[in-house]
Amino acid sequence: MNISFNLNGSATNLEVAPGESLLQALRASRVFSVKLGCETGDCGSCTVLLDGQPVNSCMVVAARVNGSHVTTMEGLLGDDLMIRLQTELVEHGAVQCGYCIPGLLISLYALVKQGPSCGGEIDEEVIRHALTGNLCRCTGYVKPVEAARAVVAAMEVPK
Amino acid sequence: MWNLQEYRIASSPAEAVALMRKGPGKGAYIAGGTDMLLEHPACDFVVDVNNAGIGDIARTPGGDLFLGAAATLQGLVDNNFVREFAGGAISKSASQCGNRPVRSTATVGGNLCNALPSADMAPVLLALDATCYIADEDCQESLPLTDFFVGPRMTVLEDRLLVGVALPGECAGWRCAAHKLTRTAEDISLVQVAVSLGMDDGKIQEARIALGAVSPVPMRAVLAETMLAGQEITAVTPDVLRDVATIAAGECDPLDDHRASAEYRRDMVNVLTRRLITRILTDDGDNMEGGAA
Amino acid sequence: MKVVGKNVTKIDAFKLARGEPVFTDDFTRDGMLYAKVLRSPHPHARILNVDAGAALKLEGVVDVIWHRDVKPIPHTRAGQSYPEPSPYDTLILGPKARFIGDRVAVVVAESVALAEAALDKIVVEYEELPALTDMDEAFTNSEILIHEEPDPQGISEAGKTNIAARIDKEVGDVDAALKTCDLVVTRDYHLPRVQASHIEPHISIAWVDEDQRLIVRTSTQVPFHLRRMLAQILEIPEARIRVIKPRVGGGFGDKQELVVEDLVGVLALRTGRPVRLEFTREEELIAARYRHPQRITMTTGVMKDGTIVANRMYVLADTGAYGSHALTVQGNTGQKVLPMYPAANIHFKMDCVYTNNPISGAFRGYGAPQGCFALECHIDEVARELGMDRLELRLKNHIKLGDTDPLSAKLGEGKEGLVRVVNSTGLDKAIELGCEAIGWGHEKEPSATHLKRGLGMALAMQGSGIAGVDWGGATVKLNDDGSVNLAVGATDIGQGSDTVLAQMCAEELGIPYDKVIILSSDTDLTPFDVGAYASSTTYISGGAVVKAAAEVRGQLAGVLGPHWECEPDAIVFADGMATGPAGKSMTMGEVALFALYQAMIQPMATASHMSNDSPPPFAAQFAEVEVDTETGQVHVRRFVSAVDCGTPIHPIMVEGQIEGAVAQGLGYALFEEVLLDRTGRVLNPNFLDYKIASSLDVPDMVTILVETDEPTGPYGAKAAGEVPIDGPAPAIVNAICDAVGVRMYRIPATAERVWRGLKEETR
Repeated sequence: MNISFNLNGSATNLEVAPGESLLQALRASRVFSVKLGCETGDCGSCTVLLDGQPVNSCMVVAARVNGSHVTTMEGLLGDDLMIRLQTELVEHGAVQCGYCIPGLLISLYALVKQGPSCGGEIDEEVIRHALTGNLCRCTGYVKPVEAARAVVAAMEVPK
Repeated sequence: MWNLQEYRIASSPAEAVALMRKGPGKGAYIAGGTDMLLEHPACDFVVDVNNAGIGDIARTPGGDLFLGAAATLQGLVDNNFVREFAGGAISKSASQCGNRPVRSTATVGGNLCNALPSADMAPVLLALDATCYIADEDCQESLPLTDFFVGPRMTVLEDRLLVGVALPGECAGWRCAAHKLTRTAEDISLVQVAVSLGMDDGKIQEARIALGAVSPVPMRAVLAETMLAGQEITAVTPDVLRDVATIAAGECDPLDDHRASAEYRRDMVNVLTRRLITRILTDDGDNMEGGAA
Repeated sequence: MKVVGKNVTKIDAFKLARGEPVFTDDFTRDGMLYAKVLRSPHPHARILNVDAGAALKLEGVVDVIWHRDVKPIPHTRAGQSYPEPSPYDTLILGPKARFIGDRVAVVVAESVALAEAALDKIVVEYEELPALTDMDEAFTNSEILIHEEPDPQGISEAGKTNIAARIDKEVGDVDAALKTCDLVVTRDYHLPRVQASHIEPHISIAWVDEDQRLIVRTSTQVPFHLRRMLAQILEIPEARIRVIKPRVGGGFGDKQELVVEDLVGVLALRTGRPVRLEFTREEELIAARYRHPQRITMTTGVMKDGTIVANRMYVLADTGAYGSHALTVQGNTGQKVLPMYPAANIHFKMDCVYTNNPISGAFRGYGAPQGCFALECHIDEVARELGMDRLELRLKNHIKLGDTDPLSAKLGEGKEGLVRVVNSTGLDKAIELGCEAIGWGHEKEPSATHLKRGLGMALAMQGSGIAGVDWGGATVKLNDDGSVNLAVGATDIGQGSDTVLAQMCAEELGIPYDKVIILSSDTDLTPFDVGAYASSTTYISGGAVVKAAAEVRGQLAGVLGPHWECEPDAIVFADGMATGPAGKSMTMGEVALFALYQAMIQPMATASHMSNDSPPPFAAQFAEVEVDTETGQVHVRRFVSAVDCGTPIHPIMVEGQIEGAVAQGLGYALFEEVLLDRTGRVLNPNFLDYKIASSLDVPDMVTILVETDEPTGPYGAKAAGEVPIDGPAPAIVNAICDAVGVRMYRIPATAERVWRGLKEETR
């Protein structure tokens, strides 16, 4: 079946199988920042934004995104907030093997953009809650969380 | 890959049911699709109900809270009506389903219709007297959520569509707390207990104790509820609490599996029931906790 | 130092953070085929026939192979130096399935979906055989033989028993010594089957290029061993094979093993087309490798004053259906662990048996986490029985500077080893700083009556490479602008070795770090290296880089000396400059231009480095836990690691190694376990039920680097990658015991197990 959706700002048409996941469809379209890790919605390496919300692309049927906006890391490379997040992760030593990192960054990006659901500050606990769906086997999460806190702290400082 | 022949999209509940019945072959409704992509159920087609107008969350003029079946779990976490209802217990339970990306797409209807004994949303909704609304091609039916589950992975639906659940307005002021016992912070529940108490005049007027993952279907511990209902709050001594919790533990029928033994699950029903009632009776506002200790 | 010891930007971090296509699978070739493995549903069965007729009729299914289609060449997939200390007990596809999940046949098709559909259409005729899935039964039962093939190839007792490997080594006389002791304590400890769970699955793509060479792009820790193994298995010359390692999404030992590369190699050669094989997560948890499950019996004899007189460790281990790493992982369980308390009498014995369970192998720590759990829990038990403080008992007995490792000479990598003397240790300092950070001796108040707090500690040591075995090469070449190409065989799998090696190269040449262009792990283009395992890269491969860079520096001094009319030794290379006497100086770019265009030489050197030393890094680790006495749930509130890895070349990357190891060790302690039923079927082959730590599960971590100067290491460095995974499990379990008085002899200490322990305690 044919689906049309907005991928990273560009109108995109794809021929997909009815049971194909968004992850499979994106990788088949050479959107390689979206990684396969578990295909059970647990590891978050395939996290993308679907209409602004972080989703596991392995847990979304591709057919469903017809008419939606899908944003992957490729679409955020020029985004100021994403660049700040990337820079802090890199400088804090949060990138080891890096396989989980694009997905993890998408989750952090959504968190910082939207703020916590209850309002209030993005503190360490909020960050850790936002990242439970992004498994990282290398870092123990210490440095990714530190990096995220640094981004949030820098945003709070009045210019 | 999930071997599926056709992806149908419905624009109303009636159309969804019609598309389901059209055949040929076996069909299934799909909303968020998280369970479907996990399990790849054998079916020929699916009927997408995301655009069927059943995703809204609303407060009726009578004060009831209506949760559309296609409302996402994150929607339940974020929605102000839900956050205010019964101390936000439903939002808190929703916030413990899966992880953030899963909650963006997984729906309350999907959680209930998949009908796992461990369905995360079932206990809190059972504890708040939820009613299910079910659409057929030309009519709607409602029934208590307690009657919705027929067995593990079985509901009363057959080929009809769950359009939503409603929580009665009188439950909005009940105090409700739930606890999901897990192995790690984000996990399928080993045991879940939700307790809600309607209190007035220093008395427990209404009591609901709902249990998940400890019987073939999510259930209410009716005998334990009966012991509690009508009690003066001051009469609920530690001994009474222990009795109520023991009765609740006796009502469930847990299984041994690789996640936990039946014996452990039963004892945890006991522990959690006691703790939740205690917490509600000594409520300091933040009446929920969950996940691994 | 200008570069070493500094937190430079990790060389590959930005491209990884940008999600650039740098992993094995971020790459396609025209006409690529997709392979899928048909796996045995039986734990033990002969494969009599495979009927692929119906599968091959599906349009787009290109080939199906089974054991009749491949030559039976016994080999090991262990990925070790040649000759391997692992038995040659494996075939690409064999006539017998030895566990549920063993390879039976392989399909290649035009898509993954088609390959999956074809699997369902293959009809296999099996002759089921009785199976052994219990390691005690496998140890005693010689009626059922899992490997009945005769033994030219290194199975310990092939054709007679199911014992894949055994070791029995003694220093002193333990039996006699125990008789003289005031107290003898014996306990059994049970270690689970856990899986590395790197987030990138095993994946390989192979194709035959226009020169008829087999190119294998693969997620591996051992590109050079892999080339050698593929040449052996596929019977083509190594000259016809090129292995390319792109970025790797984590390995942790699990990618030391050849898991998929032989299949893509065979199929690319057969079909003439590119072939890709990627494991699913389910396959990772069934058909990759596990940390060996073990039962360890510890016997310790002590005097009243706390002097440990004798230590005995007996290990029974389950290698599963194949014996890769059977000898050496279990050897490590004693060798890396027992020297912590160098008693005069030490006895280490192990039996590692085949079973019809999925396969065990290498996983970060490589036997030491098992041994360290047993020993460090046991030390607490001895202290308790002795009525002595557990910290004091450790301080009295632990290995000190100048001590000789009592076991190293007797027990090397599957053979006699080399004498090891401790030339650097920060262990006492680590203990002191760790105690301070955790608040040792200061009881904490729990927040509710059903909660109890406790503290626990563990000491650990490991090695830095395999003494006398591991080696690596490095080539340094100067370019016109003063930049250098550094080519190393060393394998960056995410741990950051490319960065660390580039730092050392820059330091040695006195140039900025960003002037080093590193290329690693391409068998056509880089020198040899054994690969990323045994905590060897910084220490061993780093040694090669330092030598090669020093040689290039010497070459430059050699051309500048005559030019400046001074002794070459008088020239200093620092800050991107060469500086001679009498105010002579040039930028490195000018030096390069002079060398290339005036002296007309290519400043370039290749060096090799091995070491007969394997200096131990040390760790002192501490846990503060809170135990829910009603549910049994354990919450690790804080975790302190104080680690001596010599000179930290890149401090925050060392911290990252430690923090990641603590998270993995936490899982080992509390929730990770691959569960099998009685037939050896995995009950939890997914992240839904095989839980690894998420961001909410890890404790508040404090990481302290205790710097020492290892005289045999490059810039004083030792290893860091493995030692911090040893201590978390015993430290946490010791803390649980401190909190509630329940000793968990079996990990993971799940809530239910702790709850059960608490119930038994109150009975």
